[in-house]
Amino acid sequence: MSHESTWATVHRRPSGIFRTVDLGSYADCVGIEFTRRPGDGAFNIWRNTFPAEDLPRGEIVDVGGVPFCFPAADGRHPDNLRCRGQRIELPVGRVDWLCFLAAAERRTEDTLSVHYADGATRAQWLRVSDFWPETPPRFGDVLAFRTPYLLYQRHAQSGMAPAIWRQRVPVTIPGDVAAVTLPENPAMHIFALTLLTEEEM
Amino acid sequence: MRVELPGIRHWRHDLTGCLHVAMAVLLQHRGLNPVEVLGAAWSFDHRPERLRREEYYFPGGEDDLLAALAPYHPLTSRWHSPADATAGWLEVRDAVAAGQPVAVSADNYHLPFRPAFGDVHTNHLITVYGFDDELDIALVIDSVPPRYRGPLPLPALAAARDSGNPVVHDRDLFFTGQPIGNRWLEAEVTGEIPAFDRDFVRLAIERNAAALHAAEPAGRYAGLAGQERFLLDIAGELAEGSTGAIDETFVVAGPALAVAGLHAEWLAHAGRVLGEPRLLESARLVERVAHHWSAVRIIAGAARPDPAAAAGSMRSRTRELVADHVRALESTRRAVGTTALAR
Repeated sequence: MSHESTWATVHRRPSGIFRTVDLGSYADCVGIEFTRRPGDGAFNIWRNTFPAEDLPRGEIVDVGGVPFCFPAADGRHPDNLRCRGQRIELPVGRVDWLCFLAAAERRTEDTLSVHYADGATRAQWLRVSDFWPETPPRFGDVLAFRTPYLLYQRHAQSGMAPAIWRQRVPVTIPGDVAAVTLPENPAMHIFALTLLTEEEM
Repeated sequence: MRVELPGIRHWRHDLTGCLHVAMAVLLQHRGLNPVEVLGAAWSFDHRPERLRREEYYFPGGEDDLLAALAPYHPLTSRWHSPADATAGWLEVRDAVAAGQPVAVSADNYHLPFRPAFGDVHTNHLITVYGFDDELDIALVIDSVPPRYRGPLPLPALAAARDSGNPVVHDRDLFFTGQPIGNRWLEAEVTGEIPAFDRDFVRLAIERNAAALHAAEPAGRYAGLAGQERFLLDIAGELAEGSTGAIDETFVVAGPALAVAGLHAEWLAHAGRVLGEPRLLESARLVERVAHHWSAVRIIAGAARPDPAAAAGSMRSRTRELVADHVRALESTRRAVGTTALAR
């Protein structure tokens, strides 16, 4: 199955140019639901979900200076992807950082592949911290969102505050990037991807 | 009569579960450092016929849970299986009254402080550290999120401990279907606790390496070779569409993840305490193995709709996990052989 990324707004900031990537066609997991759950969601294998009422919906959100296109979660359609080796095509261009909104079922790490326009492929580490409440970030992730409760199949649990993290992956070898292949690690979930091209030094 | 034992503190490592959490509470009560004690061993020993559907299942720990968790320390534990709920409480009460906190099996479905309360059945482990006869409460501590420490009405504790832990609906996964049986665990220190010094760290690393490279006893998956064979066998079963392989993998991967994660913490602690940066480098490599287990757990756990589709992922993950495990062992061997840890 081929995918074509569509592009949201290009954001120019003093720190560089940010391009938000629409991952909608790659999403395969309903991880966000309204508190009156329709019951289709299962962020984790226990079928917990994040409450939509406490998260953005289909809008550009700023997380620590990085704009992301947050998925338009409706509790029925997939709003995030489990990493299963998807290849995400990107418009060819220089990229310095891949910025993610992500969360994992127990912290984990793997390499992703950065594909260059000249055919070269280079590995970079993607490390994602646990979404589970009362669990600090492990990899320097920035807290993007923490909802005040967690949805279970038959109730909402206050005091269980799950997290979505902002993580970044450097593109250490400069060059025109054409695509990225995510790890084969379904414990990792990606909600959003933004490319950062820094101002030339 | 009211008893509230001193020295009870929360403890949690994010890659562990209720087993390590409960044991850590008991160890801390005895003045021991949970990381130093529970993180020293790094092994793999799984006998499928002994697998139990419990959140606190630990391969090799069927006879003596604490001895399996902490084989380099003079520690032992004993499960008690009371005749009924009444005897179950009286035994626990007596132990606590005598000054010993104890771990008790409990079905979360009946515990008001657990998210699964009134919703999901599962076989969990919490610690009882006090009681108040007049108020008809036990004092319990559970550091698994959401962490809780405080009173629990005795009828609720009795229901949780006497639960049949039935499979009722599709969220009763992995740890359901095994009656709780009012079981409780008594832990005991049987000798002098070794100092956390260079000799101890070196010996633990050497024993871990020896165990992981030892020939496998018949009828079990043990050591590095057994670990690889187990995961490849699971991949084969997944390829044939087995959902039983999913449950087995998930239950085994939990402790494997916990042990690797805690051993990484132990190596890092040793590196800092002993001033050996190479142990910190080794710790990072062991942590990498733990993160493979995070993946293994979910490759299996998320495979239920189509087990066969997960087989390839399990095989490739196995290759990476084993290679990184060997790399981590080699790193710790070098750290022992080339630093002041050397004999």
